[in-house]
Amino acid sequence: MQIEFKHVTHSYESNNPMSGLGLADVSCTINSGKFTAIVGKTGSGKSTLVRHINALLKPTSGEILVGERKITSETNNKNLKPLRKNVGMVFQFPESQLFEDTVEKDIMFGPQNFGVPEKDAKEAAQEMIDVVGLGSEYLQKSPFDLSGGQMRRVAIAGVLASDPETIILDEPTAGLDPVGRKEIMDLFKEQQKNGKTIILITHNMDDVANYADEMMVMHDSQIVASGTPKAVFNDQELLDKNYLTLPQSAIFAQKLQAKNFHFDQLPITISELTTEIKQQIHGD
Amino acid sequence: MTNIISIKDVYYKYPGSEVYAINGISLDIQKNQWLSIVGKNGSGKTTLTRLIDGLEESESGSIAIDGVISDEQTIWEARKKIGIVFQNPDHQFVGATVEDDVAFGLENQGMPREQMVESVDRALAMVDMQDYKKRDPQSLSGGQKQRVAIAGVLAIQPQIIIMDESTSMLDPDGRKTVINLIEELRSKQDLTVISITHDIEETQLSDRIIVLNSGKVVKDTTPAELYNLRGQLQEYGLEEPFTNLVAENLTDVIDFKGYIDEKGLIDQLCKLNSNT
Repeated sequence: MQIEFKHVTHSYESNNPMSGLGLADVSCTINSGKFTAIVGKTGSGKSTLVRHINALLKPTSGEILVGERKITSETNNKNLKPLRKNVGMVFQFPESQLFEDTVEKDIMFGPQNFGVPEKDAKEAAQEMIDVVGLGSEYLQKSPFDLSGGQMRRVAIAGVLASDPETIILDEPTAGLDPVGRKEIMDLFKEQQKNGKTIILITHNMDDVANYADEMMVMHDSQIVASGTPKAVFNDQELLDKNYLTLPQSAIFAQKLQAKNFHFDQLPITISELTTEIKQQIHGD
Repeated sequence: MTNIISIKDVYYKYPGSEVYAINGISLDIQKNQWLSIVGKNGSGKTTLTRLIDGLEESESGSIAIDGVISDEQTIWEARKKIGIVFQNPDHQFVGATVEDDVAFGLENQGMPREQMVESVDRALAMVDMQDYKKRDPQSLSGGQKQRVAIAGVLAIQPQIIIMDESTSMLDPDGRKTVINLIEELRSKQDLTVISITHDIEETQLSDRIIVLNSGKVVKDTTPAELYNLRGQLQEYGLEEPFTNLVAENLTDVIDFKGYIDEKGLIDQLCKLNSNT
């Protein structure tokens, strides 16, 4: 499902004069089946942008096309269910959204809310608890007896159970230990291989380099750059303006460059970096 | 060296739970030390700090803060010596302005108004947020919010600061500011810093690192020693330092046995590159 923003402006109705515009004339396309990362400083508009995709927020002006569906300032809150079924959203600290007395009921809530019969929702819960790496013995537990990392997985299973075509992730791994973080990121990459469109908001540039096909950089409520991670991380102007930080491999390459190495383009992953280093040392 | 915190044979389980969240921990923390506590989610890191701050009471064993064993009577005094900065800055604001917020802890202690104004100004100056004192905390960036939260903690002039994943929600710039600030405060204010973190770079700055696993201390060492453990790191929920991962892919050209720091790796590579 292709997602297109056309001149979207969003102004927060707020008494606080410091807030003002959440999005300022944003146009962009998020391609179907791709893994797209959105980066930018806190407050740059990333969360505001993605909340328009399932109409949690509506534009003040402009329009958003999600597949066939058009969202404008006129869009009313009726009939949003088909859209929200297709666009699943995992918020920051999704474990705070758990509320049922068993893990199974929590996972079933989403699909049932979208009209899936109980029997099918139960099956979906069975399947998804495995997908997130917990196993069916967790289904009858109370979500509140689980650790933070496990609760996070249950919340993600709940979103996947509705089988959305597009999955939006707003810093899904904040606060997870590194091993848990990698497992969760691999899980989303796997979902992409199964045909889903993944949109990831993150501060972790290594995750962008390792997982994303495309990236967008936001600054002051606007998209200031987009393209492949390799191209964007090599855009010197963005770095000079401090709109973007680099993955560790690129930072390391810069340090080698300050000595006696030379990189035509900064490598962004460890394998790119070490391949380049070997070539230069072997002199070919 | 004086022990600012001394933990002896502490056991704790949450009400209704069968397993010990803290399963026999003894630990001395020296004054002015920067201690990192690492381990998987659910290994007992946060529980341990809640016991130190007296938010939970241990089932057996003892905890002494600045030489005084904590009990129902002494915990209130002990708590004044400890400041905690939490993970999510949005969950710790109570005031309508930055200065109200910083004053909150002092009001709780019953400090007279005039003295309070002075303390608030001083704390905000320490974190370089004095220009924002009339602002609504919600209008600040993540890094600024955490700095205000730290000012709130500093205002009560603690001897110990506990950072409970306080940088994990911040963007890379915000994270750097907060870490630099803590390091600076530690040296100037003679603070003891206990930092719960998953961030490797952050742990590399600390003097000492302990690894918790199922409520036990399984390693008590320095960062360099810990990162020598290679494959074992994963069991502890830790990732290998970036430099190790790079070196691992280059073993056919460089000499790599255990932990290698950035300078060591760059030096080796540049030397090799100049020989060709």
